[in-house]
Amino acid sequence: MAFDKLELRDIEVWDGNFAAAQAMRQVQIDVVAAYPITPSTPIVEGYAKFLADGYIEGEFVMVESEHAAMSGCIGASAAGGRVATATSSQGFALMVETLYQASGMRLPIVLNVVNRALAAPLNVNGDHSDMYLGRDSGWIQFDAYNAQEAYDLNFIAFKVAEDHSVRLPAMVHQDGFLTSHTAQGVKTITDDAAYNFVGEFKPMNDMLDLDHPVTHGVQAEEDWHFEHKARQHRDLMLNVVPRIHEAFDAFEKLTGRKYNMVEQYNMDDAEIAVVCMGSSVETACEVAQELRDQGIKVGVVGIRVIRPFPFKEVIDALKDLKAIGALDRSSPNGAPGMLFNEIAGALFNTDTKAALSGYVYGLGGRDLTKEHLRDLFKELKVNADAGKVTTQLQQFIGVRGPKLAFL
Amino acid sequence: MAEQGWDEFEIGAMLRSFNGEAKDVALTLQEDRDYSSNNSFTASVADWRIEKPVFNKDYCIDCQFCWVYCPDISIISRDKKMIGIDMDHCKGCGICVEVCPTNPKSLLMYSEQTDEEQALAAWPSKDEGEK
Amino acid sequence: MGEVKKIKNLKEFSTSADRFEGANLLCPGCAHSIIVREVLNATNDDLILASSTGCLEVCTAVYPYTSWDASWIHIGFENGSTAVAGAEAMYQALKRKGRLKQPDRSTKFVAFGGDGASYDIGFQWISGCMERGHDMMYIVLDNEVYANTGGQRSSATPIGASATTSPAGRKSYGEKKNKKDMVAIMAAHDIPYSAQVAPNKWKDMVKKIQHGLNVEGPVFINAMSPCTTEWKFDPKDTMMISDLATDSLVFPLYEIIDGHELNITYRPKHKVPVEEYLAAQGRFKHLFKAEYKHMIKEWQDRVDATWEYLQRREEARV
Repeated sequence: MAFDKLELRDIEVWDGNFAAAQAMRQVQIDVVAAYPITPSTPIVEGYAKFLADGYIEGEFVMVESEHAAMSGCIGASAAGGRVATATSSQGFALMVETLYQASGMRLPIVLNVVNRALAAPLNVNGDHSDMYLGRDSGWIQFDAYNAQEAYDLNFIAFKVAEDHSVRLPAMVHQDGFLTSHTAQGVKTITDDAAYNFVGEFKPMNDMLDLDHPVTHGVQAEEDWHFEHKARQHRDLMLNVVPRIHEAFDAFEKLTGRKYNMVEQYNMDDAEIAVVCMGSSVETACEVAQELRDQGIKVGVVGIRVIRPFPFKEVIDALKDLKAIGALDRSSPNGAPGMLFNEIAGALFNTDTKAALSGYVYGLGGRDLTKEHLRDLFKELKVNADAGKVTTQLQQFIGVRGPKLAFL
Repeated sequence: MAEQGWDEFEIGAMLRSFNGEAKDVALTLQEDRDYSSNNSFTASVADWRIEKPVFNKDYCIDCQFCWVYCPDISIISRDKKMIGIDMDHCKGCGICVEVCPTNPKSLLMYSEQTDEEQALAAWPSKDEGEK
Repeated sequence: MGEVKKIKNLKEFSTSADRFEGANLLCPGCAHSIIVREVLNATNDDLILASSTGCLEVCTAVYPYTSWDASWIHIGFENGSTAVAGAEAMYQALKRKGRLKQPDRSTKFVAFGGDGASYDIGFQWISGCMERGHDMMYIVLDNEVYANTGGQRSSATPIGASATTSPAGRKSYGEKKNKKDMVAIMAAHDIPYSAQVAPNKWKDMVKKIQHGLNVEGPVFINAMSPCTTEWKFDPKDTMMISDLATDSLVFPLYEIIDGHELNITYRPKHKVPVEEYLAAQGRFKHLFKAEYKHMIKEWQDRVDATWEYLQRREEARV
């Protein structure tokens, strides 16, 4: 071996960025093509330092833009090997063209997205605008709520994406700064166990197989395009979910840490719940516990896998509730929030009586405080008791100025 | 090529040039290759032509100008000899005729419907006005 | 490093087994495929290829057909260079890790792009690839116009040419700026080899491609590609136009070694007036009207000045 392994303590104090960089080191990526951007920069820096210290055997290509980063990843992945990178926000936006190309060419690239707002106005802090921007791009999207999960979900992402029945790229999201820059205790996996969990990369349609030349990235007009897009959607809908379940089960066997398509906290006999993503899930859980202690039956639902959207799991988690609050950390700019819409779509053809209302919060890294959540749960309780939404369907919370509510 | 349903082709709109293993492609002539049905070699653009080149080997000096400047890999040269034209892939551009240095030319353009035997029988003789 | 293919003369060259196929959808008389054939046939090495979006790409990989007999990838308009750079990085990684399926084969990485993809939208990507030192070759198929989208001007469109977004008219002689000097810009990246080539000079082309493939590091090639459709000449005249371009010195052939040492590789025995080159193409037709005729002299003076500059650079050996 031309590289050294690292002895990790059972629990290391890492922030989300370093946790992701460590996971990338442990899976022995063949090519990382990357461009730094706040707040994901430390992932790229961490990886570069591992390289400088002899812990990486693969290639690290420091390109000149995020578009080139994903372009290089696509070329490398099509050549046939394990590929990953990281980005945020404007960099993610610059990558968007190539995100569709990566998924359409069925290349299992892993992209760590450290979520950050999209300009204008320019903002370096965490919201989910970039994460939402990726949701139609044909990628699998995992969402981590803390550093531990950012670490764990990287292994799961590689395992699922590279499976030959899947062959789709995957994003692992974490919240900018709140997760990426907050040092926490992270339970580690040894280098060998981590690599063995993901396994050796198995090439497919690889350009570097010189005896089997392949053409990647064709043009397909109205006579073929639809069939290819339909196949990709079909595979996302039907092939990915079983592989995710298998990966979650295998990961639980390895580490004892259990992941689900939809995470449920205090939901067993809950009457009201909020649905959210990212670091907000943990804040909401704390407030829910507080309210539980006061005898109010509240729970929290976190979306773990954003794409493919866990339609059935969302129905199972929410259908028996009396009131639901959907929390979107991205400005929908002229529509209900994404989570509101997805949940409404899931529940519409069920016989649920749940009152569903939507909240837009936390844009540009604005804190979602416990007080916000207490008020929100109170409002949901009123809805639950009334058997209907008593407010407007969409409200902005935590924004200064006169109350903003719509629909 | 027959149009297929979404479940009938490989993912990623990936195409293979050959059936199975293809070793040393750079040293394997077209007739010895196992082209896949997705290789454009198996397709034809003959219907693009309005005019076609006719080859008269009596005057050919095997200089290979036509071979090197043919945009459509349609001049068939084997063992350093020009042996014919691939009429499935020739688009009728006429470059081969223009670059042909013999007098009279060894390649001339005729309308697509022209009978080749007749064209050869009526081949022009040496043009004394040319160098 | 692979063995350099022996190509003494055209007869020997004609024994090549093409790895680019017919029934592609390029226009009759297109120089792109002539150049691609000359490039691919210059070597027997295994090739990993890429194309940026453009005529070559949309005409050679339209589902369900490919015209490529070596692995080939297209991503987008701007990133053919980076696509092949990524593949090259994977090659280096797998070589180091001992995971190449055919480790003993000499494998080269070549990207093609039009002038739109190279001089304009993909400029930054190419610069990045050259600067980072990938072991790859980037070839511009320079037809001086966005031909694939119907003839819009690019920054390679020469002064006085009429393009759809810089049309000649009652008050305009067409494109107002002369093309930028991509070879000089790329040479300024201190790359081991950059060169200008033309399809009519096949031997010069083969020599430069072979040299470029066998040096280690990034190589930039600017290939003149006369466009029958947008330059407006008869498809049969592609090589005649090429000859006019190289023999009038509108398109001088030279190479730059290690970013500084310039060698002129073709000196026409009979220099042709630029006017003949311009007159042979519809895109310059308007320059022969009385009101724009001064442009023809401007053209000749500029071409002469560039030739003078190249000769001095060559002499100076700096």
